[in-house]
Amino acid sequence: MNHKLHIKYFGQIAEITGKSFEIISSDSISIEELVKNLTESYPSLRDQEFKVAVDHEIKSKSSQISHDAEIALLPPFAGG
Amino acid sequence: MNKPKNVFIQGAITPEFIADSIAKHQTKTSIGAHNIFLGQVRADTIEDKTVTSIIYSAYEEMANKAFHTIRERIFEQYEITCMHIYHSLGEVKAGEICLFVFVSAPHRKIVFEALEAIVEAIKAEAPVFGKELFDNETHQWKVNQ
Repeated sequence: MNHKLHIKYFGQIAEITGKSFEIISSDSISIEELVKNLTESYPSLRDQEFKVAVDHEIKSKSSQISHDAEIALLPPFAGG
Repeated sequence: MNKPKNVFIQGAITPEFIADSIAKHQTKTSIGAHNIFLGQVRADTIEDKTVTSIIYSAYEEMANKAFHTIRERIFEQYEITCMHIYHSLGEVKAGEICLFVFVSAPHRKIVFEALEAIVEAIKAEAPVFGKELFDNETHQWKVNQ
């Protein structure tokens, strides 16, 4: 079944993608697979350190996304 | 659970805003100790380039949730009376304040411990990003140590 993924990009990641968000549809997919697909679209992501949040929570690579979700690629934090 | 509050302020946090926050606590007379952390933008020099300002951005919804979680955890761990966190978004020039954390309790020991715990948690858990602008128009992305 197809799901709508709202993908948000921040900081240096948004510089690489040239956009702050996009919507893709996808079957159930792991974070690792999603990152692999995004890296094919934006090869410079390979050199970047980032975490992936699903619906505002940081998830591990093996987590499966099997619903409509808000995904965020988060570069290293720099608050304060 | 309370709804997360908005922690973000557009631009630098002014000394007047901080003074006003202190004044607002004068009616809370069970408090015997305040502790305040102020994060200030540093004019770092890297290979002849000097940082003139930082442009802060954030994943605001997640960051406000993170600030809220930190707040709930600190209230559970420490017997504090109140705490306030404000973080800048947008441009903050070198020398200006970008983070204001204010914690209060009846006695001093707790506020020393609680403040450090809050600031460290913010640095590690809040999805806030900083673009350091240099005096030659280039930039780099700040990473917390």
